[in-house]
Amino acid sequence: MRYTTLVSVLVIASLLLAGCVEHPEEPEVGSGELKIGVVASLTGSASATGTDMWQSAVLAAEEINAKGGVVVNGVPMTITLVQGDDESSPKAGVEAVTKLITEDKVDLLVGGFSSGVTSADSVVAAEHKVPFIITGASSPVLTHRTDIDTSYFFHHCPTTDDYGERTTIFVNEIIKPEIYARFNFPEDRPLRMALLYQDSAYGIGVHDATTKTIETYNLNIEIVAAEKFKMGETDYRTPLTVIKATEPDVIYPVAFLNEQTLIVTQGRKDVGLDSIYLSVECNDDPDYYTGVERWGEYSIQESRFGPYAIPAGPIESAVETFRDDFTARWGAPPSMMGASTYEGVYIAAEAVKNAGTVDKAAVRDALAEIEMSQMVEAMQGGVITFTQDYRESKFDLYMQQLFWDDSVGETRPKIVWPNSVKETDFVLPDWYEPGST
Amino acid sequence: MDISLFAQILVWGLYAGCIYILLAIGLNLIFGVMKVVNFAHGELLMLGAYAAFWLYAYSRLNPYLVLPLAMLLIALLGLSMERLGFRPIMGTGKLNEIFLSLGFMYLFQNLVAYLWSTNSRSVRSPYSSISIPLGAIKLPLDYLIIIIITVVFLIAFQLFMKQTNLGRAMRATSQNREAAALMGVNVERMDMLSFALGSALAASAGGLWLISGQLVDPYVGAIPAIKAFAVIIIGGLGSIPGAIIAGLTLGIAENLVPLLMRFFMELFGISMSFTAWKDTIAFFILIIVLVLRPTGIFGEQGE
Repeated sequence: MRYTTLVSVLVIASLLLAGCVEHPEEPEVGSGELKIGVVASLTGSASATGTDMWQSAVLAAEEINAKGGVVVNGVPMTITLVQGDDESSPKAGVEAVTKLITEDKVDLLVGGFSSGVTSADSVVAAEHKVPFIITGASSPVLTHRTDIDTSYFFHHCPTTDDYGERTTIFVNEIIKPEIYARFNFPEDRPLRMALLYQDSAYGIGVHDATTKTIETYNLNIEIVAAEKFKMGETDYRTPLTVIKATEPDVIYPVAFLNEQTLIVTQGRKDVGLDSIYLSVECNDDPDYYTGVERWGEYSIQESRFGPYAIPAGPIESAVETFRDDFTARWGAPPSMMGASTYEGVYIAAEAVKNAGTVDKAAVRDALAEIEMSQMVEAMQGGVITFTQDYRESKFDLYMQQLFWDDSVGETRPKIVWPNSVKETDFVLPDWYEPGST
Repeated sequence: MDISLFAQILVWGLYAGCIYILLAIGLNLIFGVMKVVNFAHGELLMLGAYAAFWLYAYSRLNPYLVLPLAMLLIALLGLSMERLGFRPIMGTGKLNEIFLSLGFMYLFQNLVAYLWSTNSRSVRSPYSSISIPLGAIKLPLDYLIIIIITVVFLIAFQLFMKQTNLGRAMRATSQNREAAALMGVNVERMDMLSFALGSALAASAGGLWLISGQLVDPYVGAIPAIKAFAVIIIGGLGSIPGAIIAGLTLGIAENLVPLLMRFFMELFGISMSFTAWKDTIAFFILIIVLVLRPTGIFGEQGE
């Protein structure tokens, strides 16, 4: 029948196009094979980041294979990557990880973006006791939770605790003195901070880390507003208007890229909230600089790897090489989730080499003991290693400020803190309006 | 409560309501005439926004000026959907129509992702830095333009439906398809026209949404489409005045109610944010309306 044919054609066309979206070629399979499942959002709302993670993993695998693969007890093994598309949703994530483990028989997993998705799909990895190097999801709960066996999880990505604390300390040490000096505020006046955070493990994690940091370090900072929004929200005018009424000195949105772009744009353009906007590291992305336009000028980003600023020091040349190789291979620079996934594949290879086997328990033990030189992201102590308690690697995070660059017609970041990697001083813009006196 | 805060949030609600109205009226028109529930209607908003984006990107004209052309392109697409998709399956069962529209939804999402990637796109309105002071509040000029354009579209739409032969024929088809056909109305042509017009209205919602500073990506149509469905159910299936009132109500309520809830809780010494409850509020209103009046505010029995 005509309509049956038409419906069939539509369904087949949809499936074909779905298949066309992201299927980069995989490395060739060698005789001795180390199968790594890459869990990433290759489709759905987070597919830009997920694609970047996959491409970074491919680059790492190609580099390792080109150098002879992973030598285990004298026998070279070729890395084969297998895609696990979580489709940016917990349900699809569970299905993808189940397939990777039960059908593809991967030796270990690398990746995982979005704490909500990874929280769901990592349960499958825990049940099957498959080592999982988490490189994109930031909630500390992933390795702290007690309802499942998390001993096979290794968190190679700063947690919300890490960047919530780092950002709050930066605000206290750098932004607060500048504001107080310009407006002659007394020292005992608390700095007024407003939080606008995603109602998710990620957002709540940063909110909690911020309040905990204020308490732990006894900082003179008052949270004057704490507004939540649903993931994927596009209209922030109402919460920003409410925040404006509380007269904050700084605003800390805890949001993903598209959300942060809209928060800053709507906050400054529509609501007239001319304040210093802070930002979480995942927004250090070329799309953010394009999307936020001039409204993002003088805003602050916490970062560990970005497309433009490179912290001076021992990893500078490695970052440039990675960035150039990635750009040559894929036509665009990598994101920070790509950087940690790239390192994740190297960590997996090193752990298998050290374990001398692909036995999962032995690989887990090797991961727990691993000590590698930092690669393309600065690590505390210059070494990639995991903490004994919650198996978290510790990054050297830095803060950058966005400045307008006429030559590109966009803002570009410059590192303003800490002093060891600082490129320029923090600037409090002329248009800045503080909260109440 | 600070009255200026209340007024400012009312403006944001009004703007949101305009977008919902444009989207919901198109959806309602298609349902009213064809009795087809088009789940791909949000994707027509998305495609309208992309059409406006690409026309703007290539022409560098004022984005408001490219809006009519974007609407025309999406109207032609809607026409094609009706001719090639819905026409052949009309009368073969609601399930076929539902799955066909779902097929279109995924097809458009994946096609756009394939052609233009999943990266977000935006345009810059030439009026983006202009605000008009209205007492204690400031109204961005773009929002005023969007509200005015919506009102103009609604008036033009009402005039078309009430004052023209084509509009009367569409209303007749909507009220009783068989009787309209017996009276000489070409109901198939009305189907085409309603799909084209509904698609153009969705494109206008997408274009204005983009110009207001929103970002567009292949998946951006899903949430507005759900809201548009809520609007037409609250207003009454097939009712245009119902869609207007429900769209405004929903836009204002989901912005204002969280604030009122916050103030209410503060009376009891509890500080709590309700801004993440926008969707909950929208569907709570939907539940209340369905319980009190199952056919919606302006719906008729048997619709």
